[in-house]
Amino acid sequence: MNKNILEWLEETSKKFPDKIAFEDVENSITFSEVESTAKHIASELVKHTNVRKPVIVISGRKVLTPAVFLSVVYAGCFYAPLDVTAPIYRLNKIIENTKPSLILCDKDNFEFAKSLEFDGEILIAEDLMNTDIDEKALADVREQSTNKDPLYIIFTSGSSGTPKGVQTAHISVMTYINAYSKVMKIDENDVFGNQSPLDYIAAIRDIYLPLKHGASTFIIPKQYFSTPAALFDVLNERKITAVGWSVSALTLPTKLGAFEHTKPMYLKKICFSGSVMPCSCLKIWQEQLPETLFVNQYGPTEATASCTYYVVENKVEDTDVLPIGQPYENYEIFLLNDDNTETEKGEIGEICVRGNGVTMGYYNSPELTARSYIQYPFSDEKEIVYKTGDLGRIREDGLLEFHGRKDRQIKHLGHRVELGEIEEAVKAIESVEECAVLYNKPKEQICLFYSGDATAKDIAKHLRATLPGFMVPRKFENLSELPHLPNGKIDMQEINKKYILEA
Amino acid sequence: MREEILEILEEIRPDVDFESETSLIDGGVLDSMDIVAIVGEFNDAFDVKIGVEKLVPDNFNSVDGMIKLIESLEDED
Repeated sequence: MNKNILEWLEETSKKFPDKIAFEDVENSITFSEVESTAKHIASELVKHTNVRKPVIVISGRKVLTPAVFLSVVYAGCFYAPLDVTAPIYRLNKIIENTKPSLILCDKDNFEFAKSLEFDGEILIAEDLMNTDIDEKALADVREQSTNKDPLYIIFTSGSSGTPKGVQTAHISVMTYINAYSKVMKIDENDVFGNQSPLDYIAAIRDIYLPLKHGASTFIIPKQYFSTPAALFDVLNERKITAVGWSVSALTLPTKLGAFEHTKPMYLKKICFSGSVMPCSCLKIWQEQLPETLFVNQYGPTEATASCTYYVVENKVEDTDVLPIGQPYENYEIFLLNDDNTETEKGEIGEICVRGNGVTMGYYNSPELTARSYIQYPFSDEKEIVYKTGDLGRIREDGLLEFHGRKDRQIKHLGHRVELGEIEEAVKAIESVEECAVLYNKPKEQICLFYSGDATAKDIAKHLRATLPGFMVPRKFENLSELPHLPNGKIDMQEINKKYILEA
Repeated sequence: MREEILEILEEIRPDVDFESETSLIDGGVLDSMDIVAIVGEFNDAFDVKIGVEKLVPDNFNSVDGMIKLIESLEDED
């Protein structure tokens, strides 16, 4: 077992120094350039940081960004990437929670970084690239590291209105990438098509698979996912062989008729995750690409991207429901009842994860962490397992089925969204009296029901400034009064019945 | 037609000032779900079929682009 994920980069950089690691529409960067860029930046960073501290990274969707992340790792720290398109209000909350000693940004984002509520040092990655590499300083840092040290913090929606930062160790990411590589049969000839924003959990595949195998990742511009003909053209131009995409990235091309235009003919390995794949869509993909491997993957950020997988063996029918399958190597799955006792065979219980993929917890949030990261109830040895909040059932053949959520978290366009977080943001608007946010699953639409004088336009504008775009409701209904239960709480089921199911 | 298009767009994205935007796709204002919704509504409202080849930024970056697109499709009938 490696002690640091940088060892993958260093081995690959020796083997394939001039091979392209990352490419976008404008630029590319080879493995040796990734290594040297990261080391140049780190050689200055080490003078400004202490080991095992967070560094906030603000860098765009481009080939330099993975090298900037890795520079933080070379400096013995862990990176906390920010989504530059997220509202400032949200980013300030993240900074407040993370309390970083410094922010590392690319040149384009320097002015933006200065506008954040942060009084520490802000360094520009491109400026630090001129620093001489200080091999001794970097070796000293590496000497002190273990594979249980944190590698990154990735932020995810929190129901109280503050994003939660999932802190993850080198060993967890290496475990996941190794296991994923075996299932997806990844090798050095693969070219990955990156869909996920680089600050988002799904991007860890596109960043670390190349480092491990000497394969390449092409960063696909975001707008191509709205123009599916261009998307398929670029997959062919760049000879993309493997993708790990959200379900919605695969359903959109079929909805908009992209196969009438062309087929992504080099695409041999498709993994999808993030929400339930409609088999009517998967069927089209299978018919168009009969030789391609399709894998359904399940798991939260807290289990390092994923914990189970299902290789689709047969041609599916429209009404089939895919299982979420079996645990990845070095992961174990078990089901718990509400009182943390083991669920009876064949019954539905909360899906829990054990093993190297269990992450370190929510950064600087011990109470939240204690709620979901618990002592393994079937062992006297100290061991922490993660309760996902998802419900599952283990079938006769041993494969796991997904049965929805215990709480009000939803998956929307591949993103995890706490409906409660949206309600908190709406409540902050003065001209709103009461509100309830519900999800219309068949339409994939977040719906807001509210009372008060605010117009839909007012609310939408306010929310665009406080929430990420995918969390802003797409349907606004102004009611004279929201229905209530006898205990005074808003009657969500009544709203669902009257305005969603019967509408 | 402009009025009808604006009404559809405002319903889908009440927060966007469609009259002044000229970079709806390239500027990332509209996301892929918006496009699916807009295409569905346009197909119904104007009795056209917007094929995948027409889903290019130029046709959706601005209201003017959308009007041109729909007019061109109506002419084909």
